[in-house]
Amino acid sequence: MTLRFVGLRKRFGSLIAIDGVDLVFEPGKITSIIGPNGAGKSTLINMCAGSYKVTSGRILFEDVELQRLKKHQIAGHGVARTYQNIRLFDGMTVQQNLEVCLFSSYLGRTFAEVFVPGVSQRFKNERAALCREALARFGLTRFAETLAADLSYGNQKLLEIARATLLNPKVLMLDEPAAGLNHGETDHLKETLRSLVRPDRVMIIVEHDMSFVMTLSDHIFVLHQGRLLFEGTPAEVQANFAVQEAYLGSPGDVDGIRVAARNRANRVRLRSNANIERRRPAPV
Amino acid sequence: MTSEATSRAVSIDPGGKIHWLGRVRAAAVIVAMLVALVYFVPSLPTYYVRIIDMVLIYLLLATGLNMVVGYAGLLDLGFIAFYAIGAYSYALLASGQFDIHLPFGPILVVGGGLAGMAGVLLGIPVLRLRGDYLAIVTLGFGEIIRLLMNNLVSVTNGPQGISRIDQPFLFGFPLKTPRDFFFILLPIAIFAVTLAWRLECSILGLGWAAIREDQDAARGIGINTTLAKLLAFGLSATLGGFAGVIFAAFQRFVDPVSFSFWESLTIVLIIVIGGVGNLVGVVVGAAVLIVVPELLREYSEYRMLLYGCALVAIILVRPGGIVGRHHNPAWIMQKLGWR
Repeated sequence: MTLRFVGLRKRFGSLIAIDGVDLVFEPGKITSIIGPNGAGKSTLINMCAGSYKVTSGRILFEDVELQRLKKHQIAGHGVARTYQNIRLFDGMTVQQNLEVCLFSSYLGRTFAEVFVPGVSQRFKNERAALCREALARFGLTRFAETLAADLSYGNQKLLEIARATLLNPKVLMLDEPAAGLNHGETDHLKETLRSLVRPDRVMIIVEHDMSFVMTLSDHIFVLHQGRLLFEGTPAEVQANFAVQEAYLGSPGDVDGIRVAARNRANRVRLRSNANIERRRPAPV
Repeated sequence: MTSEATSRAVSIDPGGKIHWLGRVRAAAVIVAMLVALVYFVPSLPTYYVRIIDMVLIYLLLATGLNMVVGYAGLLDLGFIAFYAIGAYSYALLASGQFDIHLPFGPILVVGGGLAGMAGVLLGIPVLRLRGDYLAIVTLGFGEIIRLLMNNLVSVTNGPQGISRIDQPFLFGFPLKTPRDFFFILLPIAIFAVTLAWRLECSILGLGWAAIREDQDAARGIGINTTLAKLLAFGLSATLGGFAGVIFAAFQRFVDPVSFSFWESLTIVLIIVIGGVGNLVGVVVGAAVLIVVPELLREYSEYRMLLYGCALVAIILVRPGGIVGRHHNPAWIMQKLGWR
C-alpha cells in the first residue's frame, strides 16, 4: 500500500529538476514535501500524476509502475491531485465539477443514458447523491448550482479538494493547498485535511507555509536542488541545520523560515488570480 | 451578477419527482406546434419549402459540428468533408455512374457510417492538437476531400459532378418535391437535436465540457480524453454524413463546388452566431444564416455585403451569440411547464 519513488530523475533540457530521488510514502499518514523554490516539489507530483514524463526511475504503487501509464489511467488507479494554480472547470457548476469525476464509471452506459427513457434521470439521481455528500462534507452545498468561476478563492480551493477526494483516492496529492488563504481559512483547511486521513490512503502535501506543514505533517521530506536533503518528523526537520541553510542561505531560526515562506505564499496568490483571469474560456 | 443569474438553467431535481400535469402541458404544446408546422409548411410555395429544407439540412450539419466545436471545444474547420462523403456515398451508390442502384434507406446508414469512420480516422492524428493548430489541420482535411472529389475523375466524374442520381424512395413513396423532403428532414432533424441534447446531458457531454474547460485537469480526474474526443468526432461526422446523403438525394446532382471551404465556414458561423454550445442557438443560427441571404436576394450585387454587415452587427450586439448560454432546451421545457 506504500507509494515508492525509486531512483526518480527528471530532466528539462539541460536542467535536471529531480536528480535521483528515492522516497517511500506510508499510508495513514500525512507526508509533506518542502523545499525552497525550484527544489522540484511540484515536479515530483506532476510526474506521479502523469502530467510529466519520467526521465528515468520508477514510481511504484500496489505493484503497478505508474510512470508507464497514461494520465487518466493513473487517476483510475486511485491517484488524485490538486494543482498549485487552481484548475477547476470554470464554465461548469460546482455540482458538475464533481459529477464529471464519475465519467469512467458511467461512460459504458452512455447508450442507455441517451436512448432508454427514465434511465437518464436515474443515473443523474445516483450521481447527484454522491455529489451531495461531498458538497456537504466541504460546506459547499449552497453553491451546488453556482459556476465554479464565481466561487470565492477559498471555496475554489475546497472544491478542488472535494473533486480530488470524490472517488475515494488511495493516493491524494495536494500542491500548495494553503497558498493564498487567510488565517481562518488555513485553520479550517487544516481540520479538513486531517479528516481526510484514512488508514489506507497516502496523503502528500507540498506546501510553503511552515507553521501549516509543521503542525499538520507526520513525516516531512526536505528537497533541495532536486535531491533529498533531509527527512524526518516536524521536530527533527525544525532542528536541522542544513534545512535552515537551504531556505535562508545561512543558518537561521525557524521564524526566519516562516517569514520567507509567508512572502512566497502571497506571491502564489497573486499568480493564481492572474491565471484565473487568463483561463476564462474564450468564445471558440 | 448574482450567482443565481450566472448558474445554469439545467438543474437536477434532488427528489426526481415528476410533475405529470406540467409534462402533459409541455407535451401538448410541442405536439400542437409540430402539427401546425406539418400543416403550415407544405402549404407554402415550393420556393419557401425549399429554403426550409435547406435550413433543416444545415441544422443537421450544425448540430453535428456543435458536438465537436461547442461541446468538446475543438475548432473543426473541415466539417464539410463529412457532408461530402455522405453526399458522394449516395451519388455513387444510387446513380448511373457505376450502375449501382441501392435504395435510399440503406445508403443513409452506409453514408452515415462511412462519414463517422472518416471522422474517427481524422480524429486520431489530430488528437494532440488544439485551437489554431487543430483548425488548420481540419481545414486541410476538408480541402483534401474536396480536391479528391475534384481530381478522382474516374470515380467521381471530377468537376462535372455526378448527375442523373436516382430518385429516392422511402417505404415505397417517392421523394420528389421539397415538400416530400420536408417530411423526412423534419423527423431526422428532430431526432438529431434530441440526440445531441440527451448527449449533452449525459456523462459523455459532461466529460466533453470538462475537456473544453481544461483538458489536462480532465485527464487528471480519470477522463479518457482520447476516447471522448474520438466519440465527438465520430458522432458529429455521422450526422454530417446523414445530411450529405439527404442533400444528394434532394439535389439529385453533386459536384465538388458544393463542398468548398465557404460551406464549412457557414456551419461554423451558424454555431458562433447562434451561441456556441447551445442547441437553441444552433437552431436559431441555422434559420438566420440560411434565411437572411435569401431575404437579401433582391439586392443582387449588394447581397453579400449586406449579409456580412448583418453578421458583424449581430456579433457586436450579442458577442456570445444570439441565444444566451442559459437559454437552452432545458430552460424552454421549464418555461413550458416540464418539471
